[in-house]
Amino acid sequence: MPDSLLFYLAILLPAAGIISIPLLPHSIKAKANFIFVCLVSTVTSILAVKALAGNYVELIIGKILVFGNISFHIDSLSAWFILIINLTCINGAFYGIGYMKQYHLQRTNLSLHWMLFLLFQASMLWVCIVQNGLTFLIVWELMSISSFLLVIFDHQNKTTLKAGINYLVQMHIGVLFLAAAFIWVYFSEGSYEFSAIEKFFSSNTNLWLFLLFFVGFGIKAGFIPLHSWLPQAHPAAPSHISGVMSGVIVKLGIYGIFRIIFLLKQDYIVLGEIIIILSVLTGLYGILNAAVHRDLKKMLAYCTIENIGIIGIGIGLGLLGMGNGNSLLVVLGFTGALLHTLNHSLFKSLLFFSAGSVYQQTHTRDMERLGGLINWMPQTAMFFLIGAMAIGGLPPFNGFVSEFLLYSGILLGIKSIGITHITLMIFSLAGLAIIGGISMLTFTKSFGTVFLGTPRTHLHQEPKEVSIIMRLPQYFILIIMLSIGLFPKFYFLVVNAIVSRFIPNISGESLSIPVSLINSISAIGKYAMLFLLLLILIYFIRKSLTREHPVALGSTWGCGYASPSSRFQYTGKSFSKSLGKLLNFIVLEKKKFKEIGTSEIFPAERNYSSHYNDFFAVRIFDKIVDRLLYSLNYFQFIQNGNIQMYILYGIFFIVFVFLGTVFKLV
Amino acid sequence: MISFILIVLASLFFTGIINRTKSITSGRKGPGIFQPMKDIVRLLKKGSVYSKTTSIIFQIAPSIYFASIIMAIMVIPLGEYKGIISFEGDFVFFAYILGVGKFFMIISALDTGSSFEGMGASREALFSMFAEPAFFILMGSFALLTGHTSFQEIFASMHFGPYISYILGVLATFVLAMITMIENSRIPIDDPKTHLELTMVHEVMILDNSGFDLGMILYATNLKFAMYGALIANLFMGSFPLYLTIPFFFGIQILFAIAVGLLESFTARFRMNHNAQYILALSSVSLLIFLGVLVILGQLN
Repeated sequence: MPDSLLFYLAILLPAAGIISIPLLPHSIKAKANFIFVCLVSTVTSILAVKALAGNYVELIIGKILVFGNISFHIDSLSAWFILIINLTCINGAFYGIGYMKQYHLQRTNLSLHWMLFLLFQASMLWVCIVQNGLTFLIVWELMSISSFLLVIFDHQNKTTLKAGINYLVQMHIGVLFLAAAFIWVYFSEGSYEFSAIEKFFSSNTNLWLFLLFFVGFGIKAGFIPLHSWLPQAHPAAPSHISGVMSGVIVKLGIYGIFRIIFLLKQDYIVLGEIIIILSVLTGLYGILNAAVHRDLKKMLAYCTIENIGIIGIGIGLGLLGMGNGNSLLVVLGFTGALLHTLNHSLFKSLLFFSAGSVYQQTHTRDMERLGGLINWMPQTAMFFLIGAMAIGGLPPFNGFVSEFLLYSGILLGIKSIGITHITLMIFSLAGLAIIGGISMLTFTKSFGTVFLGTPRTHLHQEPKEVSIIMRLPQYFILIIMLSIGLFPKFYFLVVNAIVSRFIPNISGESLSIPVSLINSISAIGKYAMLFLLLLILIYFIRKSLTREHPVALGSTWGCGYASPSSRFQYTGKSFSKSLGKLLNFIVLEKKKFKEIGTSEIFPAERNYSSHYNDFFAVRIFDKIVDRLLYSLNYFQFIQNGNIQMYILYGIFFIVFVFLGTVFKLV
Repeated sequence: MISFILIVLASLFFTGIINRTKSITSGRKGPGIFQPMKDIVRLLKKGSVYSKTTSIIFQIAPSIYFASIIMAIMVIPLGEYKGIISFEGDFVFFAYILGVGKFFMIISALDTGSSFEGMGASREALFSMFAEPAFFILMGSFALLTGHTSFQEIFASMHFGPYISYILGVLATFVLAMITMIENSRIPIDDPKTHLELTMVHEVMILDNSGFDLGMILYATNLKFAMYGALIANLFMGSFPLYLTIPFFFGIQILFAIAVGLLESFTARFRMNHNAQYILALSSVSLLIFLGVLVILGQLN
């Protein structure tokens, strides 16, 4: 099949799906959506695999009014992200079939939901394909709006709506920066094409335009302090949407940053330093907040921020490598970042899906109301456990592979010249280690509170294991995760091929990966396997040796107290309390309670509530917004609700434009 | 391979020596140095009592913990003899595989649904998290000093540097010894002999384990001691021939055990709510090593 046909199919198929879904009978809408998602994925994946194999796919639509030439282009970078998008969307659509069953009464709402899902997937794919600034902004906008509408599925709920609107506004602040950047390039080079950006970079300072792009894409990706939409939007959305959003939409910010980085011509070092520092702080901030929150999905959303930090460390390392002419560092940093992008989309969607299963069965996201779910939902518990281990970077799962690459990169970077960079590397080494430590605390807490122990509250309906439709995609993700963990060499070589195409050949040396690195990477897979085998061996030895031993059941040790209740259990809140207390200048706890007065001899029943606030939102943005609102009060006379006045403004404007043209001012 | 066998051998008497030292300093005769091993063997033969609250996690966690320690020991070299596992960046693998075991011990404590065990689990997670940067800064500094990133290469090439690198070795010994105390929950971080559940860290996490599982956990603790002892021994071993290395190795292990015993006899534990800060302060000692490395390399002008 010719490439151009596949390109057109990538546009026509979603369109066909969007038109046909409302016409189909209600019962098969979700399945039809899944089929269309699969079709679109197949078409685009063919193109992507071609591009990964080295045949870049290109199509140029010439001379369209404002746009100029619009070129569509799939290179290996786009291909990598297209594959990630397709994988996550297929899983999400399949999981969604089962997950959305609980809303089967909201017919029109569901119909719209599935249409938007298709548009969402298609727009994300187009973001990776188009290479023209103006078109890019349009598809970027389509992506933001469709995801916004997907987030507010439960729009009767006030918090959902608020979170959605917050998301919409923040995305548009991002678009503002991107638009400014593209327009800047247009004024200087006369074209919206991405190749014009490259021309711009070779003749001007790189720093400022890059920072403009970085802020625009960084809002999507969730770097601090631009992250505050994430912890609001993710909990509000239905779980399969949060899975896809956290898995890919956030990663498209990373895609944009990569795209611009590969066009850069100078200023690598200063940008690398900025990105590394920002990323380590992002990672620490994200995981610290994740540790204290009790809303399961909010915790996962903060954890996404942490992982963006980890990816950012890789990007920064790669940039430093480019600046220092150390091509191995570039490879380690960028492969680490790209592989972590894939890894994160896998385990984060797994975690969101299993959190969704919990929500479907218990109708709460509050960890402190749950407990002991492993007895009713053993498979969901296993998914969450494995996702939790993988996200903490523990072997034998995939998270360890990308973190190992980053550690190797940092240890290589440590040998670089100059005390600044050495210190920066030690700083990120310690940062990465402490991120790993806190993420262990976060996920032992979440898994332990939700799935282990005894139920903390009485649920109205006994939870049971979710349907096979919801479990299948999770098994699928699990298999891919294990394959990365056990055979990392294959994945490393694929990502390495992508990265090495984009590195400008520094000082003419050809890029060769040292054998010891390849050995290390295959070693971690090999030894992860050995660990699994050893584990099984020890477990079976234990089993065979203890077969004859007497086994008794009793209640948990409670200092001799023989009738423990579920209220005795350690709560998630108290589990992370000591960490939150130590760092209370970053994780701001807000408590509401009434102190017992001295005259109160028989205290009445009272409530105690506490929740954590986002540092940046409360300490910085809220204050700015308050001031802004206050000062805008002075301009209230302009918007006075008088329609005649508004018409007058229009007339003023027309006269202004008219005079401007006459006197050649505009 | 040789390091693996030696560590297993050292683990047989390590806690015995600690206990013996403690008895002698307190004026008792004390049990023989193989008594802890005899206790463990007896535990391995005993039956178990499980809490009704627990699930499969509680059953598999001790095995995973034990396996993770075995894997970690395989990474440790002996002087110039490589461990069973050796590759560039193997200390990252070492730290993370130990993390797997810790992860499971923590969730197995939460599995019992007890208030005390959750408390211990929370402390364990917090303290080991704060110990993490100290270890990584230490190893990062050595990687910077020697230009290598695997345990064996780092330890083998540390001795070709100037004498100042032995001062770093002393500081590193301190950091590693403190990490040992944190990881094994001993004084000054935690007191294994305390009798109040509220003040325990590690002991309270395994309150509900019994029989074979408890035996495995206790033996894993011995192995861990010997493992960190081996790391410390490696700091000073260099490239001696084998007939010197082995006595040297056991010498260091015994010295380390006696030192732990003396420390436990003569110091009180830290205040529980300040433990985290004390442990974080360990990172600053690691940073001192980092500065020392910078001085050696002439980066500080």
